[in-house]
Amino acid sequence: MNTLVKKRLLIAWLALSLMTLGYLAMDHSADRAGALRPSVAVTIGAVLIAAAKMRIIFREFMEVRHAPAWLGRLTDLCVLLLVASLLGSYFIGRAAG
Amino acid sequence: MTTSSVKEAEAGKAVPFVPGQPDMWFFALFETLVFTAYFVVYMFARMQHHEAFLQSQAKLSLSIGTFNTLVLLVSSWSMARCVKEARVGAYRSALTNAFLTASFGVVFLGSKIYEWVREIRLGYGFASDEFFSYYFFLTGIHALHLLIGFVVLGVVVHQLRSPERRSQNLVETGAVYWHTVDFLWVLVFSLLYVVR
Amino acid sequence: MSAAATETETLLESPGGSPLRRIAWHWRHNPKRELWGAWFTIIAFYNVFTVVFFIMTHTQPPPKPWLDAHGVVRWFDGYHNALLIGFGVMFVLTGMTVAQNALIAYSMRRMSVHPGFGYAYLVLYSLAGVPGSLLLCIVLTVGAMRPDRDPALMSWLYDFAFLSYVGTMGVFLVGSLVWMTAILLDKNNVFPKWFGYLNLCNALTEVVVSPAWIFHRGVFAWNGLIAWWIDMVVFGVYTGAFISLLRNMIQREDFGTGPLPELVPNKPNKPDKPGKAKRGPDSPSTMGAAR
Repeated sequence: MNTLVKKRLLIAWLALSLMTLGYLAMDHSADRAGALRPSVAVTIGAVLIAAAKMRIIFREFMEVRHAPAWLGRLTDLCVLLLVASLLGSYFIGRAAG
Repeated sequence: MTTSSVKEAEAGKAVPFVPGQPDMWFFALFETLVFTAYFVVYMFARMQHHEAFLQSQAKLSLSIGTFNTLVLLVSSWSMARCVKEARVGAYRSALTNAFLTASFGVVFLGSKIYEWVREIRLGYGFASDEFFSYYFFLTGIHALHLLIGFVVLGVVVHQLRSPERRSQNLVETGAVYWHTVDFLWVLVFSLLYVVR
Repeated sequence: MSAAATETETLLESPGGSPLRRIAWHWRHNPKRELWGAWFTIIAFYNVFTVVFFIMTHTQPPPKPWLDAHGVVRWFDGYHNALLIGFGVMFVLTGMTVAQNALIAYSMRRMSVHPGFGYAYLVLYSLAGVPGSLLLCIVLTVGAMRPDRDPALMSWLYDFAFLSYVGTMGVFLVGSLVWMTAILLDKNNVFPKWFGYLNLCNALTEVVVSPAWIFHRGVFAWNGLIAWWIDMVVFGVYTGAFISLLRNMIQREDFGTGPLPELVPNKPNKPDKPGKAKRGPDSPSTMGAAR
């Protein structure tokens, strides 16, 4: 395995880890005196970051980057569907609740 | 071969290929759809009892959750390295990475069990609270996928061990499964611990 | 042998004429008549099953798990005739599931795996049929036939019937895993590998129904969104897939022992397909229908 490939995987992993740690900062920003508070911004942020992480795992770790275009489109569609379903159920639930 | 792949091949780049069996990709996407359905039910229920969910969610330890996520991401990283090493014929290194993947998987499972015990000691069981029903269900069904992942890793190690086998296709197939377990956790984590 | 058999079948093209004549011809001459008989029995069974469970007795989707004793008595009262007629039909026709188990076991005997797989599946699914369908029919019929019993007992029968029906998925789960393992190990291409993995998806939903034992209401109860509806969708996809793949298998069957030939529409199968037989798990085309 050449160093370039190694480096790329390392960078992908670092990005994923940093995004995970980003959740900690987001979390503290939404808390008030230990109690969790509802926050649309944090929810949207969390869903989008999770989707971005999923896409990085698809493209870098699962090598969709080197795969035929149809697999790239299919996995992207999957990520989009997930984001739409999550935010959709969040906002519909919010309106109904 | 499509024209674009011909062009890439001429340009000296690798020809596009589907990593592993396309059949495992079918599984990965199908399971993602099933999980999406669970998530939709959870998100909707959450918004019906928003305050109660937030109060129960506050009992989770975000630091343990973050640790979990980082550990599983490391395991996925070693799995990706295992595939690349096996592809260039560095089987010893690939085996080491496969074992690293399994070890981080065990650490994840260990910290998961520690967390479950902690929640139950605090008085939050599967049936005691709506949020915790979803919590134990989603983390439990994910942990089950992880347990199956160890069987998959066993197949990968079995392939890497003997020169007569060493099917790169099966190694990649196993990796696709393992990464699927990884990104499903990334989703479960953000929905249980972070979403407000 | 295998090539000869398919050759014979394509040569023995049925004569034209009325559909009845064609059926009669196949009945006498088609070498696959037993297999087709089993396959059409599966189709017939699922139709009867749908009519009885979904339309007549309303036991699918399952009724409310949170009914109190009087609610249960009213439920038995309301469906009295439907339960008796519907389950009367089921008692006569449940035996049709044998055709499905047999054809699936046959599919495993056609694979390159140990015969034990097929027999294990046969035993497991025959066992699973008892708590997974027959007990519900028996117990609900008891309730319908003895409406004068203590409401507490009726309530117990109701719980017993539906928990047995929805909650006892363990035997199905192991059976699914047996089939999955056989498909993944098979070198004869009887089923595509993606269907092997779909067996795993199906087995996992069998785990997801288990919270129905604990919860009386909500998404995990026996009629809940997660424990019943999502699982039912997966089961529907799974059942649809295996019915169509079994059909595909019968069409490709050459009564040999080597790899099943691929389906070539309207053309006799080529006598020899080099490479097919010797392809290891690495070959992308062993993945069959994943095109």
